Amino acid sequence: MKIFRQVFIANLKEFLRDRSSLFWFLAFPVIFIFIFGMVYSGNGEQTFKIGVVRDAKNPFSNNISKALESVPNFEVIYNEYEIEREALNNGERALVITIPDIEYEQLNNNKSYDIKVLYDSTRQQTSQILLSVIRQVFNEVERNITGSPQLFEVSTETIQPDKINSFDFSYILPGILAMALMQLGLFGGLQILNLREQGIIRGLGVTPLPRITLLGSEILIRLIMALVQTFIIIFIGVTVFDLRIVGGFFEVTGLVILGAITFISLGYMLISFASSPESGERIIQAVQFPMLFLSGIFFPIAIMPDYIKPVVRAIPLTYLGDGLRQIMVGTTPEYSMSFNIMILIIWFIISLFVAIKFWKWE
Amino acid sequence: MKNSLEVEGLKKYYGNLKAVDGISFSVEDGSVFGMLGPNGAGKTTTIETLIGLKEKDGGKVSILGYDPFLEKDLKEIKKKIGVQLQSPSLFPRLTVKEIVNLFASFYPDPLENDLVIEQVGLENKKNERVISLSGGQKHRLAVALAMISNGDLIFLDEPTTGLDPQARRQLWDVIQGLKEKGVTVFLTTHYMEEAEKLCDNLVIIDQGEIIAKGSPKKLINEYFEEKAVEFNDPGFSNEEIRDLKENLDVDRIGYEEKLNRFILYSKDIKKLMTNLINYSKSTKKEIDDITIRQASLEDVFIKLTGRGIRE
Repeated sequence: MKIFRQVFIANLKEFLRDRSSLFWFLAFPVIFIFIFGMVYSGNGEQTFKIGVVRDAKNPFSNNISKALESVPNFEVIYNEYEIEREALNNGERALVITIPDIEYEQLNNNKSYDIKVLYDSTRQQTSQILLSVIRQVFNEVERNITGSPQLFEVSTETIQPDKINSFDFSYILPGILAMALMQLGLFGGLQILNLREQGIIRGLGVTPLPRITLLGSEILIRLIMALVQTFIIIFIGVTVFDLRIVGGFFEVTGLVILGAITFISLGYMLISFASSPESGERIIQAVQFPMLFLSGIFFPIAIMPDYIKPVVRAIPLTYLGDGLRQIMVGTTPEYSMSFNIMILIIWFIISLFVAIKFWKWE
Repeated sequence: MKNSLEVEGLKKYYGNLKAVDGISFSVEDGSVFGMLGPNGAGKTTTIETLIGLKEKDGGKVSILGYDPFLEKDLKEIKKKIGVQLQSPSLFPRLTVKEIVNLFASFYPDPLENDLVIEQVGLENKKNERVISLSGGQKHRLAVALAMISNGDLIFLDEPTTGLDPQARRQLWDVIQGLKEKGVTVFLTTHYMEEAEKLCDNLVIIDQGEIIAKGSPKKLINEYFEEKAVEFNDPGFSNEEIRDLKENLDVDRIGYEEKLNRFILYSKDIKKLMTNLINYSKSTKKEIDDITIRQASLEDVFIKLTGRGIRE
């Protein structure tokens, strides 16, 4: 334990004193978030097309419609439910609201009414903002009519569009975290190759230090790095882009750690096939690029062509991305959480097994 | 007297290359043992195989009574030895003091950190990072890391290669200090004078095989009772060189190409000198910068292998 602490401290100092890699380690998530944040947040004057399904003859629904129309930036379109649903699916609507036929006489008997709101789950963040606006609108109307609270309940339902519309930042942010964890893990393998190439492993191999201690300390450093990056990414998401993290601290941390160790062991598996840091880097790049684009961390899986889907379903990043999205921002699950965790654990075990089997210290 | 290290028929092959081809030797407790040979002779491979960094292809080894090819024994061995590898690779961003501390923590009974740093003459570099050290300083740090183990047997792989003369002498003092403490030292070198000065016993190795072994004195006596006379080449023709050998009663003629100097070896140095001067007069070739010396290990090496030791 004393030896482990010493090696860990040495490792940590080595990492912290390497200014340029420390800089990139800290800057990488920041740069990514800002690039994606600017692209996806949308900015300035924007109008939201709100689909409204109603009976035009009903005076109550007419009142509500007028209230909605009075919101700046709202463009209200009236239509049949099916048509509006399709428009939402095509990304032509921000939300679709269904207003039930209610007679004014019915309003005072302490019954609450369902206002159904349909929105696109890939535009979580925008939808949340619009929903709160709509809730306010209804509150206003409510107060005008009765002065009594809790008359209306706004209930929501989401759809998964079958092709990509634009989607918002709350979809991207967990993706950036997943990407960061993947890279951190895979490049952990490269670090081992560097230690090997520099002869540090050999140099320590002549001492009584068990080499597994060195490896353990490497892994611990990686895990700490993963948590630091997670913190940075979430911190910026929350403070700069007003993101709300729905998952609890332990849920998020737990999944981040599972993701990190899965990709660390995947990195160690990959370097079993490399003879030098150069070839290792190429192998890792060859693996990480397809994963980056096929995992659904930046584009919903639904929009990908069918023939590529088996690949999508095979790669671990798909499940880490989906899991993080669910836990962090509460997107509609692509897979169930337990399935995501199970696949990650399976990947962890497989790559750990291969890494141990083909591990080369020299 | 017991032996700290016993090696019998050790073999290490890389495909067709016989890097170490059946060498045997033993190292007495408390002695300094040298392995001498040119680059690529198999010295480093020998050390790396001995201490379990490489698999052997044959032979038996005993280090302090343990077998380094048994996992369990190797663990014990590593606690009791110190090793300096030829290309010292360390965490480049740690300071000298930090890395010595780190290595000290690996051993059950290490030496005092400051003492070791002082012994290798790095006390004023204590707080500098490894990356900022010169090659020679890195080398001395590597020796310090081998010493910190406080082991009974220290392996030093070319500890003085690349050092300036002053640093080399400093390191010799360190090695002699180890010997005085009763530590057994196994070192490799391609410096003749170093082996001659430091070693109680040595082997000369070439192309993976031992070509001579014994004490430096014994080797010199065995292979060279002669003395050597060196002088600058006055421009002898091939015929004159042949005459030189026949007329002057010379045992052997060497020629150092880089310096353009002849080396004549003979047991009767007086007779040789007289003859040489007479020959110079008769051929009207002026011979200058003459030095007479005892045959050195380098001469032994040239005789044994037919080539110079520094390549």
